[in-house]
Amino acid sequence: MENVNLEGKLSGMHVNGESHMGGNNKDNADATLNDVQITCFTEDLHDATLHFQIIRFSKQIYAWIGCNSAKFGHLYAAAPTRPNNSISVTSLLGGNADNTGSSMARRLVLKMGLSVVLACNIPKDSPILEATAERKLIERLKILGYIRTGPHQHPG
Amino acid sequence: MNTTSTSTLTTHFPVGHKKTSVVIKENKTDVIVCRYDDYFMVMVTQLGCVGTILHARKEEGILVDPTFSVSVIFGKRDEPLLVAFGRQLIEHISFCGSSRPLVLTVGLKDHSPGTLKEIISVVLENRLW
Repeated sequence: MENVNLEGKLSGMHVNGESHMGGNNKDNADATLNDVQITCFTEDLHDATLHFQIIRFSKQIYAWIGCNSAKFGHLYAAAPTRPNNSISVTSLLGGNADNTGSSMARRLVLKMGLSVVLACNIPKDSPILEATAERKLIERLKILGYIRTGPHQHPG
Repeated sequence: MNTTSTSTLTTHFPVGHKKTSVVIKENKTDVIVCRYDDYFMVMVTQLGCVGTILHARKEEGILVDPTFSVSVIFGKRDEPLLVAFGRQLIEHISFCGSSRPLVLTVGLKDHSPGTLKEIISVVLENRLW
């Protein structure tokens, strides 16, 4: 008899949280996706200090990487372009196609599938520093959920 | 005009920024102002992307009155009001005593003078110069 009573009580319960699903939660999620989010952090390496600023828009990401200073550096834009979604990169301020930052911008687009505007003042001829900066940036982008791992990456 | 603002000018991170969001003619408009060592950056968007990018700087010369150079480096090159927008901001930066150049990004649904006027006032309220 006790079991029947318990089952009756259980069948009368419903899990709280269903009220959170539906319109309000979707609106909150949409609002969050449409909000601009700014993330700033610093990584201290033994021979350099790297500063990172990530500004996430709903359709694009801006990132700045500073090496030992807050100088703006060179500015690049990269995006998937027609006809076959290959990645195009252009230098907008300073720099040229083979500077630090241009290849990094390209790889960011490959990983995220979003167009990227990247400013970077890492000195040229510093491949290890460049690779470290890119790794740190991508790690943070993954933590923030801006990069999805696995089959969602841009095919390039 | 509904406004929500955040700002961080902490000494820990070397780049200060201010972010605000306003509604202009029913369009949600995000405005971000950043201060780097050698640049100011102003980002204005209604589109969820950076949009057109302009570069503005004061040209040092021998004349008493400064001259300014504003150019579109990415995006729409046929919107003169965007260049005028950049010009107003770089003049204001110069008037406030800074000679840093400006990177201005503008992604708008509406490029009318009234909208740009409101955006300019929002930027100046949140300026970092």
